[in-house]
Amino acid sequence: MIRLVRAELAKLSTTRLFLWLGLLIVALSGFVTTITILSTDESSLATLSQQRSIAQFAAVGAVIALIVGIVQASGEYTHGTIAHTFLVSPVRPRVVAAKLIAGAIVGVLVAGFAELVTWTIAAAWISGRSVPFLLDSRSILETYVGILGAGALAAVLGVGLGALLRRQTAAIVLALIWLLVGEPVLSIAGIQEYAPGHAIAAVAVAGGRSSELLGLWSGLLVALAYGVAFAAAGAVAIERSDVS
Amino acid sequence: MAEAPPIEVRGLTKRYGSTVAVDDLTFSVPACRITGFLGPNGAGKTTTLRAVLGLVRPTAGEARVAGEPYRRLLDPLRRVGAVLEADSFHPARSGRNHLRVLALAGGIPLMRVDDVLAEVELTGAARRKVGGYSLGMRQRLSVAGALLGLPDLLVLDEPANGLDPEGIRWLRHFLRSFSAGGGTVFISSHVLAEVAQLADEVVIIHRGRLVAQEPLEALIARAAGGTVARSPEAERLQALLAEAGLEATVISSGELRVAAPPERVGEIAATAGLVLHELRTEGATLEEVFLGLISEGPS
Repeated sequence: MIRLVRAELAKLSTTRLFLWLGLLIVALSGFVTTITILSTDESSLATLSQQRSIAQFAAVGAVIALIVGIVQASGEYTHGTIAHTFLVSPVRPRVVAAKLIAGAIVGVLVAGFAELVTWTIAAAWISGRSVPFLLDSRSILETYVGILGAGALAAVLGVGLGALLRRQTAAIVLALIWLLVGEPVLSIAGIQEYAPGHAIAAVAVAGGRSSELLGLWSGLLVALAYGVAFAAAGAVAIERSDVS
Repeated sequence: MAEAPPIEVRGLTKRYGSTVAVDDLTFSVPACRITGFLGPNGAGKTTTLRAVLGLVRPTAGEARVAGEPYRRLLDPLRRVGAVLEADSFHPARSGRNHLRVLALAGGIPLMRVDDVLAEVELTGAARRKVGGYSLGMRQRLSVAGALLGLPDLLVLDEPANGLDPEGIRWLRHFLRSFSAGGGTVFISSHVLAEVAQLADEVVIIHRGRLVAQEPLEALIARAAGGTVARSPEAERLQALLAEAGLEATVISSGELRVAAPPERVGEIAATAGLVLHELRTEGATLEEVFLGLISEGPS
């Protein structure tokens, strides 16, 4: 199993995927962090809660991790390399398991990179203002851990979704539509708490409380349930499909 | 117990909706030989090969590799090397990295990657992206992947498609030396001529069913045909040929078909001072025999 996980990691690192997604993280996190800090007056910028919400911008890493997971599972169908994968390892559930593990590892790394970028950009802007820099305070630590966990969960969900659809572009577009339209609609109805995106968000904001989200542990449980369900459905779909 | 044949297909059937791609197909591939897998496009060759390789699930029947279904092989890369039709690669990955991924997954030492790259003469392009490879280079990369685990069975699906003459020559030479080293080769093609210069044995299918499995010599013998002689003294010629131990059949008045080369028939007639009006070989080309077999349909 370890060699399959290593192969899955090598698949991700031998294309330009990380370069482009890294740029995307820098652009998104850089833009939001900069705009927020520049448009916040110093008295509120000096508060811990405001700086925590800036640290939470790193949760964009979880969205990118979701995309990485989707690519990991469906990209091989798009490029036709899945045949090679199954020739080497014909027991397909093992391949799906390796993709889930590799996805979770990369999800954590991607989220960690997003934190690093957000932290650096925030530090650069805040040091230019006469406010204390609180992003390194202990009470924000749980936010960082939460975002790493959210990255892993999102990637696992992505692998499951990608395996289920086995079409890279369709899966990415569908996931983004769900996050940008589907869950907001549920929010209007007030039933968004149990949706996958909100459950993962509950993990990401670990420390901060929000009336729109479940608590950390119930959020984690719901997100894990989605991960397991999607992964199982994806594994069954892959097992049943012919590679032709 | 006798060793299982490298490939054994029994009662294999694959349906896609109402289309029957492979229909109750049974054959086996002998060890240490080159077996050609022939049939027109759409005959079911690719589906059969993909079922052998565990990529396609049979509707009925089974396919075994070395006595086991492919999915149960412990280290498939070390048992079977597969070159798929129109093989696909990630365009942004280098040829070398493509092979390294396979080696990692298959538990094969990464040193092998450079060995097989050299073997298929791709070392110079190894670090370039596959997206920039020519068709011939992709085909070589595919062969390199098949060789990673030093298997003793190679399965190739239409490997000559799209190759230039030089590439085809390279492939033929390569497969011959692989076979000479004791390897088994199962190679599909829709063009008999491609395989005729290579194969010891042929399996011919049409519309998903077996048409013939026989040694290539038997196919060539079918193609050899005979000689047609036209003579005003056909009956006397028939008797003379019979004396020489050659059986001749009357095909129309004054025309005989003999299973012998025209030189022999001509000499016999000349010795007896017998008049011949026509002497011609009735040879089908190998291709004609192939097409004839296919048009006759499954036996």
